[in-house]
Amino acid sequence: MSNDNPQSMASVQSPARVHLHPIHPMLAPFPIVCFVGAFVTDLVYWHTAAVQWETFSVWLLSVGMVMAGFAVLAGFIDFVGNRQIHALRPAWLHVLGNVIALVLSLINAFVHSRDGYTAVIPTGLILSTLVVLILMFNAWTGWSMIYRHDVRVSV
Amino acid sequence: MNDLSMRVSRLSFVCATIATLGLAGCSEVGGDVGGDPNRQIGADPFLPAPREYLLPPMHIAKAIGWSKGETPSVPPGMQVHALAIGLEHPRFVYVLPNGDVLVVESNGPKAPINRPKDLIMGWVQNYAGTHAKGGNRITLLRDIGPDGVAKTRTVFLDHLNSPYGVALVGHDFYVANTDALIRYPYEDGQTSITAPGTKLTDLPGGPIDHHWTKSLVASPDGSKLYVGVGSNSNIAENGMVAEYERAAIWEVDRATGAHRIFASGVRNPTGLQFEPQSGKLWAIANERDELGPDLVPDYLTSVRDGGFYGWPYSYYGQHLDPRVMPQRPELVASAIVPDYALSSHVAPLGVTFYTGNNLPAPYHGGAFVGEHGSWDRNPLNGYKVVFVPFSDGRPSGPAQDVVTGFLDSENRARGRPVGVAVDAAGGLLIADDLGDTVWRVTSTGS
Repeated sequence: MSNDNPQSMASVQSPARVHLHPIHPMLAPFPIVCFVGAFVTDLVYWHTAAVQWETFSVWLLSVGMVMAGFAVLAGFIDFVGNRQIHALRPAWLHVLGNVIALVLSLINAFVHSRDGYTAVIPTGLILSTLVVLILMFNAWTGWSMIYRHDVRVSV
Repeated sequence: MNDLSMRVSRLSFVCATIATLGLAGCSEVGGDVGGDPNRQIGADPFLPAPREYLLPPMHIAKAIGWSKGETPSVPPGMQVHALAIGLEHPRFVYVLPNGDVLVVESNGPKAPINRPKDLIMGWVQNYAGTHAKGGNRITLLRDIGPDGVAKTRTVFLDHLNSPYGVALVGHDFYVANTDALIRYPYEDGQTSITAPGTKLTDLPGGPIDHHWTKSLVASPDGSKLYVGVGSNSNIAENGMVAEYERAAIWEVDRATGAHRIFASGVRNPTGLQFEPQSGKLWAIANERDELGPDLVPDYLTSVRDGGFYGWPYSYYGQHLDPRVMPQRPELVASAIVPDYALSSHVAPLGVTFYTGNNLPAPYHGGAFVGEHGSWDRNPLNGYKVVFVPFSDGRPSGPAQDVVTGFLDSENRARGRPVGVAVDAAGGLLIADDLGDTVWRVTSTGS
């Protein structure tokens, strides 16, 4: 397929794509929104100790992990499938940051599966906060690949 | 290409390291082994520090059922027979004044999926065979044949709603469904009730109905009914609103249906009985999970009018549970220490005081407790019927194993004991909800 669309000198091809549209950037927002959402509902739980907020958090973390699985798959195909991508320094930082964020979120989902207050305070809230900070770093490295290194699907 | 493979292997190494560090953080996974259960039996149980987990210890006995001819084991001088087999999840046994045996066949209503872990618990329960359909009915057994099997077997009451406790006072037969206490007219010798029931009072049922069993006993003078209402959660994780009038023993006025909370803070009072010598109310209770394999011991206790027994804020008096917020220090200060610990996660579901004469003399006057068995402790605990000796209306020694063999040599579950009762001839009856059997234990030669 890609042979039909000779690469431009400037842009880097994303191997995981549908109809010339890259998949990873489409999937990545789902886990990000879920994990940021869990951070917010954790904050509310911290202030209210009302159980429904903890319930929101654990569902957000669980759905976030499932959607992250799809995003990782597409991202991994991009990373391994194109030498130009894995030659990029931001790409390595992006992979590393996301692996850390997902491992922490998985632990966080287990912490949130405890019963009662200690499902969130203190470990759950700390993990949710860390993950949001790491996700901001990951967004930086991810977008710098697109804006500064021109990773895209060529047209 | 060399560069690529080097980089990929470096990346794999980084990923593996992070994953290992992450898992090291949950080193407790499945690795926490329970100590000697005997140090948690009696008035002063050993209580380790509470622990919390990423994955709480879980050890589920695979359900295999009884092969033909297999029975539980009893001590020398006693024998055990199946009084009835092929029942539909028998939970509770009750003996009518004429000697007829009632078997309550029941299971809980479908549990809602409130959190992701509820999905996982559903799979666990399927594996352990605790999701079997209950009959929602009561079967009557009569006339024990030479082989020990009841020759007469009729459907005594049908179309109930997750029933558990039953009690007869005069000609009034009461059934504690999961959502209501219902009265039926009963005449001596009746083998089936077709008359419609009358609701005496509602009981806390759905929509969550986490601990669904409603245990029941009538006061010796017949004026009051006592109902054990379990909590709606493990440790109030569904909010305290869901716990309204739960984790409590209700006293219901038999004439009016009015009720008051007789005792509170009892997480799941699954069995209630009056101790014959003192005439006092005793209860068995299932304590909280996920604080470790040796916390919190389930217990047998006398129940004080107005007493508070800790749940959810504390256990065994003033041992605070870190998972409950906000705490209630003034209430915790009044929390009563239960009389007799039965060890952790044994899941006592049936209790009866032995008032017969058939079994050997050491059993007279003490309590038999049916221990359904653990799912969140390694090694397994419970899966047997134990005897707690009593003298002067108080427990007077360590618990002894009486009916065992519910687990096979590979720790698979052949049966799980639930309700226990003493029949008219002094035999000990045991409902086995996994084996779908009622067992009867008697002295050899009787």
